[in-house]
Amino acid sequence: MNREIKLSVNDLKISFRTDAGKVQAVRNISFDLYKGETLAIVGESGSGKSVTSKAIMGISAGNSIYEGGEILYDGQDLTRIPEEEMHKLRGDKIAMIFQDPLSSLNPIMRIGKQITEAMLLKNKANRKEGRVTFNKTLAALSETIKKALAENPQPGVTAADVDKYIKTFDAFNIQAIKLENSYNDARTAAEEMIAVIEDLLFMTENKQKVDVVSSLGLIKSRLKEINDKYFVAGYEDALKAHAVAVEEITRAERAKVSVIDVVKKLVDNGASKNEASPETVETLKALKKTAQEMLSQPQYNFFRIGYYVYKHPETDLSQMPADAANEMTVKFLNEDFMDSFMVLVKLAVQYSFDKTIEHKKSAVEAIEKAIDFFRAGDFTAQEAEKTCKYVNSSVTAAIDPLAIVKDNVAYTCGSSLEREVKKYFFYVKNNPKEEARFARQTAQREALLAKGKKVDWKIVPKSVIALDVQIAAIVSVLSRVMNKFKADIEAAESFEADKRCLEIIDFLKEKASQVVYTLTKRIAKEKAIKLMEEVGIPEARMRYRQYPFEFSGGMRQRIVIAIALSANPDILICDEPTTALDVTIQAQILELINRLKKERNLSIIFITHDLGVVANMADRIAVMYAGKIVEYGTAEEVFYKPQHPYTWALLSSMPDLDTNEKLDAIPGTPPNMIYPPVGDAFAERNKYAMEIDFELQPPMYEVSPTHYAATWLLHPNAPKVEIPKIITERIRRMEERGGAHAE
Amino acid sequence: MQNNNEVLLKVDHLCQYFRLGRKDLKAVDDVSFEIRKGESFGLVGESGCGKTTTGRSIIKLYNITSGNVYFKGERIGAGIRSYQDAISAARADAASKIKALRAEKDADAARKAEIQEEIKKINKELGAVVDRNRALIRDAKSNTKDVDKKYVESLLQALEAEYAQKFDAAAGNTVQLAALKKEYKNRCRVAKKSKLITQIQMIFQDPIASLDPRMTVRDIIAEGLVIKGITDKDYINEKVYEILETVGLVREHADRYPHEFSGGQRQRIGIARAVIMQPDMIIADEPVSALDVSIQAQVINLLNDLRERMGLTILFIAHDLSVVKYFSDRIGVMYFGKMVELADSDELFKNPLHPYTKSLLSAIPLPDPVYEKQRTRIIYNPIAEHDYRVDKPSFREIAPGHFVHCNDAEEQKYKQQLK
Repeated sequence: MNREIKLSVNDLKISFRTDAGKVQAVRNISFDLYKGETLAIVGESGSGKSVTSKAIMGISAGNSIYEGGEILYDGQDLTRIPEEEMHKLRGDKIAMIFQDPLSSLNPIMRIGKQITEAMLLKNKANRKEGRVTFNKTLAALSETIKKALAENPQPGVTAADVDKYIKTFDAFNIQAIKLENSYNDARTAAEEMIAVIEDLLFMTENKQKVDVVSSLGLIKSRLKEINDKYFVAGYEDALKAHAVAVEEITRAERAKVSVIDVVKKLVDNGASKNEASPETVETLKALKKTAQEMLSQPQYNFFRIGYYVYKHPETDLSQMPADAANEMTVKFLNEDFMDSFMVLVKLAVQYSFDKTIEHKKSAVEAIEKAIDFFRAGDFTAQEAEKTCKYVNSSVTAAIDPLAIVKDNVAYTCGSSLEREVKKYFFYVKNNPKEEARFARQTAQREALLAKGKKVDWKIVPKSVIALDVQIAAIVSVLSRVMNKFKADIEAAESFEADKRCLEIIDFLKEKASQVVYTLTKRIAKEKAIKLMEEVGIPEARMRYRQYPFEFSGGMRQRIVIAIALSANPDILICDEPTTALDVTIQAQILELINRLKKERNLSIIFITHDLGVVANMADRIAVMYAGKIVEYGTAEEVFYKPQHPYTWALLSSMPDLDTNEKLDAIPGTPPNMIYPPVGDAFAERNKYAMEIDFELQPPMYEVSPTHYAATWLLHPNAPKVEIPKIITERIRRMEERGGAHAE
Repeated sequence: MQNNNEVLLKVDHLCQYFRLGRKDLKAVDDVSFEIRKGESFGLVGESGCGKTTTGRSIIKLYNITSGNVYFKGERIGAGIRSYQDAISAARADAASKIKALRAEKDADAARKAEIQEEIKKINKELGAVVDRNRALIRDAKSNTKDVDKKYVESLLQALEAEYAQKFDAAAGNTVQLAALKKEYKNRCRVAKKSKLITQIQMIFQDPIASLDPRMTVRDIIAEGLVIKGITDKDYINEKVYEILETVGLVREHADRYPHEFSGGQRQRIGIARAVIMQPDMIIADEPVSALDVSIQAQVINLLNDLRERMGLTILFIAHDLSVVKYFSDRIGVMYFGKMVELADSDELFKNPLHPYTKSLLSAIPLPDPVYEKQRTRIIYNPIAEHDYRVDKPSFREIAPGHFVHCNDAEEQKYKQQLK
């Protein structure tokens, strides 16, 4: 599968400290989340689904312990980054929808404020972040170009020239930003003006009194701002006419305000309210139309114009229509600067990539050596540290500084390796201690029992990890990096330098415009209202000012979704979003999430225990039981060809519309995770359990390249077992139905 | 299940209004249905449509506003609002007529006596209406009170008949006779305290909230028996153990507290508490909604078992249609306090007639990805679907056993559809 991996979880292990002992909530789970797909995690309550999602969000409960593993996102390990770093991701890149909408909304804040709050805060942070990233990337680019030139010199290009190029690029980008800033201000003013007008019209339509005079004042000031800025090409006359009209209606409206109103305003400091007259409404509607037309005009390409203005500081392009300006400047930019600059960039990209592949090759060698070293066992702390350092340095060298999509595995290799090695030495020291304690307690207990006393305590199980297991963990970290590198080396042939160049320039442009994008409260409000309409809330403008208790359950859940989407996240985690809702509302919410996923190319982690819901939503499904993933595959595979007895049990314990036979309930309850079972956790409740199930945990067997299951039944020597009749019947019915649809 | 046409519970034009400021909230509005002995009747609808209120009104947790509830042929609940409404409507009507007549009288002195006569007649008519409705109100009140008296009498009669035989058999043996007499006296005392309504028991949705955290399981389960007046500790314990085993728990659980149990086990305790009263009918209010899938199946299987073993009749309230379909013989669909459709469960799923039912059925998620991805939901918009301005709707039988809330035009349409 050659899709971009958004998030990957490797060997995650989380426990909770409780009075009774350590509860192992999540035990070594791994999965990848691809871009634009929905991964569903299914299981009973207490199987660790929610714990996993909370770990991804970095909001685990206070008594949780990360015992191992990593959550990789954007070159970072989320389990180990500090809280300040997590702030930048949480809500912004990874958003979450909780089960109970009422408890995730603030009861004393209006809905509108709750939606816009995050938008406004994030906007500020984004601008800062954009500037930093822009500078960093440009510096890396300059350095690489210089290096590339040093190795294969180009005729007529010296290092000084490169500096000049970079400087020009930076400078004209600043110029472009300035221009764009001014342009954006004008656009903002126009948008705000439309917002004010819309508010006014809405109030008038609903026969409510408004402070017309002050609203008109706002409109006037915005109008002036638009006129002053880079925006109006072709609209000057229209705008002037509008300004005159607004002036007139303002006078008329002001005349309507009585003396009493004015006095009241002076005394109470309140607004003088009245209704807008029909002429005012007409004029404003016309103005709104013009403004909207202006906003829908083609936009200036400031990247090009910036360069032109940088070279010809005295010119004034503001009177030129956008299309013509763009046309003229692009030619100038390409001939004067971009063509030759792009050659350099391409050189750098190719160079950097070639170097990276070279480094990767040597890194693979280093890793191979390190694997042998660790496999041999019996190493001292210094030796291990030295090896780690060596591996780390060669892996770091193999990271392409110009790659836009960060290589999660390589970035976190060093820290993961160090951690695992540290753990190894911890176990070297701790294992004998634990053994001794366990032996002591066992002896104590037996002595008490021998005396015939009643013992009301259990022996705390020993937390011992065999050293060879830990070494295997170290090796798995290394081999993961190695496999990744090997795959990269193989894929090197299909590398397109041109594409990468464009990516870099686009990335720089995007970051630069991030710096200038400002969000005012009024625009945030308009955005929030648009978002509320998008998630299907009728009369959004009115509901914007309501409190959460005024919404029904389904509407509240929509608000929560709107808040989650307000920051435009990459990944959306839905933790049982429909469990508290009934069928019709549930169907609506699911449709909404599916639609948004398509529109925004979101990656979704969907957590639920309802298999019916999963069938609707999921591209891939992971079935969890007792903190482990027991089956993992595409939705079709899990529903039509289930392999694990637990999946069978889940499927057969829920009735569907055609079920008549007795339901196959799963006997008993999930195991107590303070004392996790030695073998397969499901063995006790499993009627197909074999002896080995009680002794040894089954490995993941591959059923197909996308379908895995952890059950001994898939072992070649296992006896053939029939899938329960209730499921085969259902699959047969489903095939019939599916066949009918196919025709 | 059983082919029995004996009606156990009959709900007749039940209305349950709640005061909400100046207006009434019509939680249940004119709902009628019958539940036959031994059947399982499902009640579905979205949250807030009045399913739970219907259940609670039947068991008299609320005083119903109007309508009647009959259990085993006895009227156990009756609302008087409709009669009061009839009285006040008649009064207003009469008052307006009289006012018009008086105005006429003032204008036309010649017809004075005639008009006077007419006013008298109207007043007399009004008096008759008021008296009739008052009698109905009295009837309703006394009826619901007398129910328990009648029930106690019937119980006592049955006891007398039973013990008369035993006394005859034991005649001469003074020791045995004395023991029997004591037993008879005891049972009579218990019987005198009995109420008919205890024959209906309820299982609640939330197994955590519905169990007192400070009572042991034994106390919780035995509470009904204690209230009934049974004092024999051994008898109670024996009963509790028996019931615990019936619902799939063990004796040792009796001395534990609710928090020591898992969700499914707690719901079993709730069921045990209801079943120990040996009811004829159980109202199960969303008994599985708060449980995990695997536990849901356990509880559903248990309820099915109990139903077969004890011949229970069950009113099953839920919003999960797949579960209701699996569990119920007949299903009633509710929408905003009204029953919109009622039919055999197979019939309802095969031929849904009311547009709301269709919309509800189209929203059921199924464990079938291919089908799910093609599923289109039908959206129900009552204003667009129905035109009730002239032709008022009512609850009508379209086909044998298949009722729909509709007006004349729709009735024709639905009948056409069924052919």
